[in-house]
Amino acid sequence: MFKRVKYLILISAVCFFPSCKKDFLDTKPLGEFNETDFWSSPGLVETFVNGIYKDVYRYPFSWYPLSVFSGDESFSMGGGTVVEFNKSAITADNIPGFYDGTQNYMPHLQGLQWGALYKAVRKTNLVFENINRIPVETNQKTIERFKGEAYFLRANLYHFLISLYGGVPLITRSYSLNDNFNVSRNTYEECVEFIVSQLDSAAMHLPLSYSGATEGRATKGAALGLKSRVLLYAASDLHHKMDQYAPGYSNPELLGYVNGSQRERWQRAKDAAKEVINLGMYSLYKADPAPGDSIPKNLSDYFLSRSATPEDMLLQYFSSQAPGEWTENIPAVTHAPNGFHGWGWVIPTSNLVDAFEFKDGSKFDWNNPQHKSSPYTNRDARFYATILYEGSDWRPRPTDVAGIDPWNKIQTGDVYDVSGNVVVQGADNGLIDAWGLFSGYFLRKFLDPAVDFLVTNQDVPFKQMRYAEILMNYAEACIELGEDGEAQSYINKIRTRAGQPTTLATGNELKSLYRNERRVEFAFEEQYFWDIRRWVAGPTAYHPISRVVIKYVAPDATSYRKPDGKVWGNPEYSTQVLAKYSWSDKAYFLPIRRSELNRSASLIQNPGY
Amino acid sequence: MKKNNLFLAFFLLFATASIAQDVATGRVILSDGTPLAGANVIVKKTKEGTKTDANGNYSLPAPKNSVLVISYVGYVPVEVTNSGEPISSTLKTISSDLGEVVVVGYGTAKKATVTGAITSIKGKELTQSPAANLSNNLAGRLPGLTVVTRSGEPGNDASILRIRGLNSIGNNSPLVIVDGIAGRNLERLDPNSIESLTVLKDASAAIYGAQAANGVILITTKRGRTGKPTIVLNINYGWNQPTQIPQMASAYEYAVMYNEYNAYNNLPLKYTDEDLRLFQDGSDPWGHPNTDFFAETFKPWSSQNYKNLTVRGGSESVKYFFSVGSRFQDGNFNKSASNYKQTDFVSNIDTRISKNIDFSFDILGRLEDRSSPSKGVASVYRGIFRGNPTLPAYWPDGKPGPDIEAGDNPVVTSSDLAGYSNNKSYVFQSNLRLNITVPGVKGLKLQGNASYDKTLDFSKTFIKPVYLYTWNGQPDHVTVPGVRGVADPRLTQRSSDSYRQTFNFLVTYERRIGEEHTFKILSGTETQKGMNSWFSAFRRNFRSDQIDQLFAGGNDIFKDNLGGAGQFARVNYFGRANYDFREKYLLEFVWRYDGSYIFSKGKQYGFFPGVSAGWRVSEEKFFKDRFGWINNFKLRGSWGRTGNDRIAEFQYLATFGLSNANYAFAGQPHQIMYETKIPNPNVTWEVASQANIGFDAELFNSKWALTFDFFNNVRSNILIKRNASAPEFAGLTLPPENIGKVGNKGFEAAVSYFGKAKSFDYTFSVNGGYSKNKVLFWDEEPNVPEWQRATGRPIPSNASDPKSDLYYEAIGIFADERAIANYPHVDGATPGSVVFKDVNEDGLIDDLDRIRSLKNNIPTFTGGISMSVRFKQLDFVLLLQGALGGQTYFAYEAGLTNNYTKADYDGRWTVDNVNATKSRAYSWGTDYWTTRQSTYNLRKTDYLRLKNLELGYTFADGFLKRGGLENVRLFVSGANLLTWDKFPELDPEIEQNGAFGYNYFIQRVVNAGLSVNF
Repeated sequence: MFKRVKYLILISAVCFFPSCKKDFLDTKPLGEFNETDFWSSPGLVETFVNGIYKDVYRYPFSWYPLSVFSGDESFSMGGGTVVEFNKSAITADNIPGFYDGTQNYMPHLQGLQWGALYKAVRKTNLVFENINRIPVETNQKTIERFKGEAYFLRANLYHFLISLYGGVPLITRSYSLNDNFNVSRNTYEECVEFIVSQLDSAAMHLPLSYSGATEGRATKGAALGLKSRVLLYAASDLHHKMDQYAPGYSNPELLGYVNGSQRERWQRAKDAAKEVINLGMYSLYKADPAPGDSIPKNLSDYFLSRSATPEDMLLQYFSSQAPGEWTENIPAVTHAPNGFHGWGWVIPTSNLVDAFEFKDGSKFDWNNPQHKSSPYTNRDARFYATILYEGSDWRPRPTDVAGIDPWNKIQTGDVYDVSGNVVVQGADNGLIDAWGLFSGYFLRKFLDPAVDFLVTNQDVPFKQMRYAEILMNYAEACIELGEDGEAQSYINKIRTRAGQPTTLATGNELKSLYRNERRVEFAFEEQYFWDIRRWVAGPTAYHPISRVVIKYVAPDATSYRKPDGKVWGNPEYSTQVLAKYSWSDKAYFLPIRRSELNRSASLIQNPGY
Repeated sequence: MKKNNLFLAFFLLFATASIAQDVATGRVILSDGTPLAGANVIVKKTKEGTKTDANGNYSLPAPKNSVLVISYVGYVPVEVTNSGEPISSTLKTISSDLGEVVVVGYGTAKKATVTGAITSIKGKELTQSPAANLSNNLAGRLPGLTVVTRSGEPGNDASILRIRGLNSIGNNSPLVIVDGIAGRNLERLDPNSIESLTVLKDASAAIYGAQAANGVILITTKRGRTGKPTIVLNINYGWNQPTQIPQMASAYEYAVMYNEYNAYNNLPLKYTDEDLRLFQDGSDPWGHPNTDFFAETFKPWSSQNYKNLTVRGGSESVKYFFSVGSRFQDGNFNKSASNYKQTDFVSNIDTRISKNIDFSFDILGRLEDRSSPSKGVASVYRGIFRGNPTLPAYWPDGKPGPDIEAGDNPVVTSSDLAGYSNNKSYVFQSNLRLNITVPGVKGLKLQGNASYDKTLDFSKTFIKPVYLYTWNGQPDHVTVPGVRGVADPRLTQRSSDSYRQTFNFLVTYERRIGEEHTFKILSGTETQKGMNSWFSAFRRNFRSDQIDQLFAGGNDIFKDNLGGAGQFARVNYFGRANYDFREKYLLEFVWRYDGSYIFSKGKQYGFFPGVSAGWRVSEEKFFKDRFGWINNFKLRGSWGRTGNDRIAEFQYLATFGLSNANYAFAGQPHQIMYETKIPNPNVTWEVASQANIGFDAELFNSKWALTFDFFNNVRSNILIKRNASAPEFAGLTLPPENIGKVGNKGFEAAVSYFGKAKSFDYTFSVNGGYSKNKVLFWDEEPNVPEWQRATGRPIPSNASDPKSDLYYEAIGIFADERAIANYPHVDGATPGSVVFKDVNEDGLIDDLDRIRSLKNNIPTFTGGISMSVRFKQLDFVLLLQGALGGQTYFAYEAGLTNNYTKADYDGRWTVDNVNATKSRAYSWGTDYWTTRQSTYNLRKTDYLRLKNLELGYTFADGFLKRGGLENVRLFVSGANLLTWDKFPELDPEIEQNGAFGYNYFIQRVVNAGLSVNF
């Protein structure tokens, strides 16, 4: 009996044992770092800062880049919301592309959502609040850099916020659960001053350059460059002529300046650009082409360069190593011609192509019979570096298409019989794959022909800021200040590099030449979207956009070209409406969404919503 | 008592042998032929008797022509006359199951004295369905248990189980306990090794405390029983196919709609009249094919089979149950890379070490082997749905045709040409149990359990380049291959290892005072902890796809590896006290003091009590006198508080996690970490308060059985994020806070009739459960109009988004321009667009016109009607099952390169059909009725289906017996044979997860089987 009792006690002891251990329930997360460990480690803080770069720069090569929301710059067949946005069908409930009911594959624009931008702002605030937890002794330089980067990134986030929404609440601390969230919008002017002060601080903390593996982080030059951009935008008409597009709006101070002089602001913009120029760090890539140079190749080389050139002030790098999402670094698949099994998802409009001058500086005109009969000869070198067009060379066709196109030239037309029926479809005009509807053009600028995009991600960096912009910013400020001569010399630097004749234009002629120059120089580089807004020029970009239709007539043709590679006679070019875009003045700013207004009573809505 | 009986029996036996006297001998069997050990055999009107031995045989002294009464708990007693010859008697279960013992939390109880809302089912019934996943066999059988099958993918076809519908905005899954161990999986158990399944629906679950708020499912596996071994062999062969395949538009119909779409959008037409003619007449298979991608990708029937052998028997000192089995289920794809294989065994052994000590040792082993296409079935299904019918699946020369993108021609991606994905899961479960009857203290028992469960998971995904063919467009019809998808073969290999260890210790004490008062007390403690860890490795640039092992991959920068881990721990103390007075007045109290690792120190423990009471009115004299035809009537009531700790762990900590995304500097990817959330130091349990009243009744000599329960649950402290009221500019990633509150009311009822005629038994039963939930408090945007508020309305389909059930109300199709001019409309509406109702009548169609739907994706009423008939050697079972009150959103990416459904074509608006039921040709993601959630795309998922049907015939004649067989049963059965619903495109149970989420179709199964009893 006694033996049994002992036995029992033993069993009970075994059974109870784990629960008697006092710390039995004390587990810790094995997949996350706790706050204290995190902020004391500079290596971890660096990964946190990396994430803010991602929030700010996102996915410029995704299949819904900003350019398809930029009116007549480019077109995308797939997104109905693209069409809605470009028709200015924007309401406080529905901001097509930015906030959509059911679609969630536009990560690039979603990163520009009010909430997403503020989430990233919080991250910068957290950096400032916790940076002193990193042990100073051994990490002085790193701490400096983190501070500089956080200033720079926070400035860039607010720059996006005020460009999209006007004056916004300036949040400079991290909220916690039980804070009072009743905040109102700061004026546009306050926001600009805040951003400028952030960039001045950034410039103080950041190095002039990086070497090796850290290339791509913000530099002093990038901070000053962004300051130039911010002050240029602030000096623009959008923030001074509110009566023009929002007459009667009760809070114009949210959209722009209500006192002071615009001229002084242009001067400030000019000075900011000059500050960058005076750094002496940057120069245009192949600024003075040698006589034997192929200028299109110079430009192509520049856009496909995997590392920074002296022109690059801030590159957003990509890695072919990172697993490729449809949204990440694969512009080739989504943007490439259909006859290469690309999707032709983001295509240049005929309007953009028409904006490229001829080599002699004359403008293209469909009403000119000579232009119309051979539109693609003797154009601005940038046309050849930016656009793929009927008959142009690109990369070898995939094996299964090579037999259809032994001549290896882009085919965006069709061969017709006399009664107007297609007898041979162009390989890039819908023959190979069933995607979309094409404009007669495809994008070339960032697509590296050396990469087989069907099976490999390309790692061409995106140019977030390049010196050419600073020169143009400077020129624009000069034009607005009436300093046409100074403006010409800076515009001509850009034109010379592109192989275009220098200009001596003045006044309004110079202004419109400048604007066109900016459009073709920075096509697909996320400039046009902002430029047309700050110029209060919405209707010039958001209007019915067009495509080109290319017809060869050869009733007996069984292939796109003659076997000897010649085309079937001269093609006939015509343009057609591609989509009926239109403008409404409310689209100069996005609305604050109804749900956000519901949550915060002191927010004031933008005009027109 | 028992000991004395035995002694007496021995004595009598002995006496029989020594004294010449009349002897009665015989054998007692059950209706399935198994011998019944331990049955009482008593000579009528005397106290003399014996019990049957392990083989069901008995022998006792009894005068000739005396009457013997043979009885056993739960069976109808039989009287036989001693003729002097050996007598064979068959005992049949009594339809009344009052004497039956049911499984409850940490023990068993006599059904008659149960006071909680409990429903249970025998393992036998679960074998009636040929469905390969046990969770799919539960539908329609247990009142109050809602079963919804979302996917029919072999190996991944688990049903969603909900006890009494939805109770929380958070996690609604019930706790599953197999043989006393929490957290084990029920889906892959072999129905032939299950003894019973019990569902605790009310406060009786409170003994499981913090995990019991959503109810508890208890499964008990079979154990050995005294007697000669019973060996049963089951062999099933079956065929499966989708219950429903949507009808898609033909090439002609698609092309017509494509052209119409372009015309509406001022775009050039894509197809000429000649093209349309060629699509229609099929004369140009190269240039103008007409492809039905469902027909090309699916085969009509796929095979499945199931084999199982069980051995059950034992003696007084050792009892055993063994089961070994295997099953195979093939996928629907023509050249299928998708299937499920399982091999499993169970060994449950009970031994008696000494008079007072019993020892049990259970082990279960299982291999779950899942294969699927390398891209996963969702991607294949997406390919099929989108499948552009004007493109060939195969060229006429047999070569695979083009993709829409990324190599996704479904006839290729559904096969192993694109590689494979395989997952092998090795499940090992063990339990040691010691039962001790404490000598010297009557009624005191101790029990200790130690369980260790381990799961090893190995998966491999091997992706190969795909070759698709392009036609040269020339009359010589040459097709040329091109590589798609990926450039080089690549392999991801992952292995994970997890364990769960459970210890518990129980003390029970049972005491009867006099004839009237019975006390039962149970007290126990349990600890559970576990951990899982995993790692994976990746290589690409394999030179050849011949060897799918990591070493053969490229040794380059693309090599990658990953790993991670997690752990959990729970400690708790619990108990139960029962009291009954003459089994007439019943009282029960259960409690649990639960500790969970999920919460911060100081907030880890919670107390969860439950009380219930019963009154067996039928035991009262006044009742018996007046309502003699009601032979049993019990009123029950219960109330309890339970908890739900199934929330994201460590919400009280500020943590930083690693993101999947990278940002590159200098061409190299760099890691990104982010703040996972703001900590909530106050996070605590979700609390359920559950009230239940009900009754059980048996009428007309137990021919009729009725059960009814009404419940009222209130769940509070539900963890939800205050996303709706915190402005976005605060930039917060909010933690959940204990602020939500949901009410859920409903009832369950079951009625059964047990009929019996000469060699003809039949039962008929109907059961159903209804529940209606209501959000009592939620975080909502202030200033939302009344008709959009979630509070006071049912839980939305996506409980994390209060706005997920807001819909524009589609009230028709705009017939023409005049109709548009006459009614508020969305910018850009054209004739043929869907009309949205101007709900607030402000002349605008905007967000404020959305209405809140009062239904969600879980039905509110589910029920079943079952019938079983046994006529001589024939048996027949039928189960009809249905659900009401659910809905689903059906919108997929039609238009442009993607096909439409035939219904979209047939019903669409055109200039010649202005009074249409469907919109004009549209493109998903473009037209407003596809981007704005509206009732246009809502489908009711009410249905009634013939869930199961089984017809069997048992051979049990002497011929078999001479061959060593007891009996042989042949049967045919089926699952999901017929469905009546109002959802023309898909099976009503399936759900689209957004436009890109395609679930594998639900399966219909027909099956033939053989069951041999040795």
